[in-house]
Amino acid sequence: MRVKLLTFLTLAAALFMIGCGKSDADLTKAVNDKFAAEKITGVTVAVKDGVATLTGEVTDITVKNKAEAAAKSVEGIKSVDGAGLKTKPLPTPEHPSPDKMLEGTINENLKKKNITGVTVAVKDGEVTLTGTVDKAKVAEIMMVANEAKPKKVINNLNK
Amino acid sequence: MSLQEKYQTLLELANSNGTTYELSEGDGVLHITGSAPDEAAKAALWAEYERIDPDFRSSDLILNITTAAAAAGGDVHTYTVVSGDNLTKIGNKYGIPWKSIWDHNRDILNHPDKIYPGQELKIPQ
Repeated sequence: MRVKLLTFLTLAAALFMIGCGKSDADLTKAVNDKFAAEKITGVTVAVKDGVATLTGEVTDITVKNKAEAAAKSVEGIKSVDGAGLKTKPLPTPEHPSPDKMLEGTINENLKKKNITGVTVAVKDGEVTLTGTVDKAKVAEIMMVANEAKPKKVINNLNK
Repeated sequence: MSLQEKYQTLLELANSNGTTYELSEGDGVLHITGSAPDEAAKAALWAEYERIDPDFRSSDLILNITTAAAAAGGDVHTYTVVSGDNLTKIGNKYGIPWKSIWDHNRDILNHPDKIYPGQELKIPQ
């Protein structure tokens, strides 16, 4: 009887230990493994009391989101603090094509798509679109304007 | 909210539909310059842009996406689904993973397990 009780207590103690969860060091390793599996690099993780704090610099916001989600998915992680995880500063865009060229490209490509009624004005690389067009054509017109490599597109089209 | 945050779903979509892109930012405008695997992927990105900025009035994004298919001039093969098909089975016919068919048909498919006889799937070359 006594032996049985002891066995039971030992088992209970063992179960309790497992139930307590992993240590912060184990969790840190688990998060790092998860990052490695998902090919997330440039993120440093520190776990304290089950809270993962992420720091570092990543390419863009999608990597940040992915890292936060990956850390959160690790069993035992209670919450994730990604405030210290920054996105890389972005380079400035290439210089836009000269205004005349931009205007010409856009007009030509609109013509190719049989789109009429759009007035294109370009100043310092900024394209302003005016005119009244079919609602269904707006996205197409924006596509043409965006692909001419302007600095900015100001859409003043009326539908 | 940063521009990246504003357009993050668009970037997530690009990552998931096989579009490669580069970002730059200047004068309050985010530039996404990239290449989509096909017209459908590009259209999906534009649809997402339109969802975020319904009338394209914000003047804070330049989305310049070219398509690999247009660049290569390749034609797209289509396959008509018959009863009993699934993406893996169709993929095996062409020696491609099911996922690439899924990626190329996200415009007409909502779930990789749900395809129906008569549907025309684009098969990437």
